[in-house]
Amino acid sequence: MLEIAKKALEMAAATGVDEAEAFALRGSSTRVRVYRQQVEELASSTGSGVGIRVFRGDSVGYAYTSDLGGENLAAIAQAASDNATVTAGDEFRGLPEPASSFPEVDLYSEKLAQVPLSEKIELAKLMEKAALERDSRISQVDSATYAEGDGRVAIANSKGFSGQYRENNCYAFLQAIAETDGQMQTGMSFTTGRHPGQLDAAGSGVEAADRALSLLGAAQCQSMSCPVVMDPFVTSGLVGVIGSVLTGEAVQKQRSMFAGLRGQQVADVAFTLTDDGTHFEGLASAPFDGEGVPTRTTELIKDGILQGFLYDAYTARKDGRESTGNGIRGSYRSQPHVGASNLRVLGGAASMKDMIGSVDLGFYVMEVSGIHSGANPVSGDFSVGASGRLIRGGELAEPVREVVIAGNLMAILKNIKMIGGDNRWVPFGGSIHAPSILIGEMTVSGK
Amino acid sequence: MLLDEQLAAKAIEQALAKGGEFAEVYAERRRTTTLSLEDSRLESSSTGLDAGVSIRVTRGRDTSFVSTDSLEEGPVLEAARLAGEGLAGGGAGMKQLQKIDHPSPHVISIPPDSVAAGEKAALLYEADQAARGAGSEIVQATIGYSDEFSEIMIANSEGALAAEERTRVRLSARAVGVRGDIMQTGSDSLGAHKGMEIFEVRDAADIGRVAAQKALVMLDSRPSPSGKMTVVLHRGFGGVLFHEACGHGLEADSIEKGTSVFAGRIGEKVASELVTLVDDGSLPGEWGSNAFDDEGVPTQRTMLIEEGRLAGFLYDGLRARTLGAVSTGNGRRQSFRHPAIPRMSNTFIMSGSGGPEDIIAATEKGFYAKTLSGGQVEPASGDFVFGVSEGYLIENGRITAPLRGATLIGNGLVALNNIDMVATDFEMHIGVCGKDGQGVPVGSGQPTLRILDMTVGGTEV
Repeated sequence: MLEIAKKALEMAAATGVDEAEAFALRGSSTRVRVYRQQVEELASSTGSGVGIRVFRGDSVGYAYTSDLGGENLAAIAQAASDNATVTAGDEFRGLPEPASSFPEVDLYSEKLAQVPLSEKIELAKLMEKAALERDSRISQVDSATYAEGDGRVAIANSKGFSGQYRENNCYAFLQAIAETDGQMQTGMSFTTGRHPGQLDAAGSGVEAADRALSLLGAAQCQSMSCPVVMDPFVTSGLVGVIGSVLTGEAVQKQRSMFAGLRGQQVADVAFTLTDDGTHFEGLASAPFDGEGVPTRTTELIKDGILQGFLYDAYTARKDGRESTGNGIRGSYRSQPHVGASNLRVLGGAASMKDMIGSVDLGFYVMEVSGIHSGANPVSGDFSVGASGRLIRGGELAEPVREVVIAGNLMAILKNIKMIGGDNRWVPFGGSIHAPSILIGEMTVSGK
Repeated sequence: MLLDEQLAAKAIEQALAKGGEFAEVYAERRRTTTLSLEDSRLESSSTGLDAGVSIRVTRGRDTSFVSTDSLEEGPVLEAARLAGEGLAGGGAGMKQLQKIDHPSPHVISIPPDSVAAGEKAALLYEADQAARGAGSEIVQATIGYSDEFSEIMIANSEGALAAEERTRVRLSARAVGVRGDIMQTGSDSLGAHKGMEIFEVRDAADIGRVAAQKALVMLDSRPSPSGKMTVVLHRGFGGVLFHEACGHGLEADSIEKGTSVFAGRIGEKVASELVTLVDDGSLPGEWGSNAFDDEGVPTQRTMLIEEGRLAGFLYDGLRARTLGAVSTGNGRRQSFRHPAIPRMSNTFIMSGSGGPEDIIAATEKGFYAKTLSGGQVEPASGDFVFGVSEGYLIENGRITAPLRGATLIGNGLVALNNIDMVATDFEMHIGVCGKDGQGVPVGSGQPTLRILDMTVGGTEV
């Protein structure tokens, strides 16, 4: 891949630009979906592509292609160069300075390719079976899926940086459906790793079934203000929203509720949040980010105090700081853009029993929906649909659905009463390692 | 055509060699341009090319799917071989390919490729200036522009051969208003299966201005109360609620698995008799329209709910074959990298009678949802949740205070049955619908209508 990146870089340089960078990616993926113990869909794809970013003076241009034929590379090099004549000049634009050392990150397991497809199919079947056999009220499992991916990334730029790495991962997920008296409830679970040996398929099957079962018979509860316990799935949704505005860009563009609060208390003292681009379990880990800057661990909130923000080369230069290695790049189709890598909330000491047990009347939230529309990290408004269980006298009580939980994000962070020791990786809406948390008070709207 | 007809036939034969019953070749080449502006500067300009092919082989409901980033003979035939190996046993032959004569109803007057980048950039500046000019409290505007031109070709073992060129243009604006501690956003967008002529009907400035006005109105808002309320859904934007809360349950994959509340209920009353819900992917120039779906079936109008009775479902080829139905031309995919699945195109509630002002006047106390900001639905139960980015209180038949932070929550079937007034001011809105990790352009629409007894979640108890 590095050869292709270097070739693309040469072509970009030949268009007479001041700086150029080529990002090349080759990937393959396979997905197996099982339904009623039969393979319902087997899908695989291979692909590669190159994205070229150039700077003319302080204007940037971008172009990409999935077709690496010689003519196409030259054509997109020219297109990127032309695009740089349209954009506005900005003195902070440009490539990062090349670094000399990079973190050692183990992102690739030989074992993934060694395990035959038939065993991976069995794994999906096992997961489905574990859910179905959990309880007779589990009527079916929708989309019991095993999937894996293998990608090679290479970057070369005109400041002399060149580097490449290979990464693979696999995951399995399912949605169990529980049915009784004409009501249907679903429960989701997943398991991730670098090779199938790290996946707990049976455990996920059971968890999905249990989550669906525990919601059976759910109904709206009365509207009230009460303590709320969020399980790790739900906490991760909240953390993802917060992480999206802990970036230099969000602050510079005045769309962060954290703007101007560096060094101030923004959360309870028990709350510590870091971005870690090097963690071996994190699916967003890499030795360098999407523009060749070494990844690292960045403290965002420590003991409730805002420490700082995430930066890519551009936003760092604008703030007179150093890039934190957070120039994230989803694929060759997009330019690097500042964002979180793996977000980790420091786990606490509380058990789920401690948290539930401390609440006389409250709500244990297992699922939230509408988080993208209902959580506004600019204004801090937070209002999302939720389902879960009521807590009565320190015990889990009747299941609840079709209610809205609401509050102000900053107030929620400051009102964290307990943090669980049950951290887990949640790969939705980012890569987030989150525990369950107890919030002192939120509004629950129902009947 | 993208692939030589003989190569397509050869790939289908290759794919069927190991015993598939049905095989399909989907080839695509897509050029995309995106521009984005923030801080009154054009920050990025990007152009891209994606091209490739996918081969799908099915037997019964089992599917084998392989995609590759190439339109060359070698990789295409290799993909066909791999896809064929995914299914063993059984077997069927292929019919002679025959081109389907179905001219595109979509007329492109000004192809985006004929317009210089500088002219496109000017649209973003125009929208930005209009947004900022709408009021001194507007502190930020983000404008996005995209156009795409794609050529697709589909050939299958039943002999279908279809080709289409698709052009889409879209401009969106998001404005941020600030007053003291309060920060509110407003957005608007324009898009169609058309060329640059869309800006002759509505100029870029208007899109920026409307986004800014929405943000400004919300600066006067107060926190929304919560509880059961009568909700009036403003025309257009409410369509997405029915798309999410009902439309997905009418797609044949959820019917097949019995995970939809509509399964097995054709002919039954599922909604208020005021409700007629339709999907139509053939409407000329609409954002969610195409000449063919992504399986080579001409798009059509499909009646889903007729005067409150369940009338039909949305089928792709695979579910139609499995369930003994006929494809409704709703097999869609994000790109050649994805298998086609049943998807909505343009989905809308038809006009009723009377004006929107009659509905407001008839509502003593209620919540007026003018703009929804998006939402989510649990397909099995039909439970949905929607954010309201622009909402108002209705008091004594009049729209009064703007309300912020409100969320609509309910159940699709219950909401359909609780509709008691439908006006005639029909409007469509555009969006991108996500399902199974695939995004496709969709339209949704409705006239202003009223839903009784809906839960509004706010921050005030």
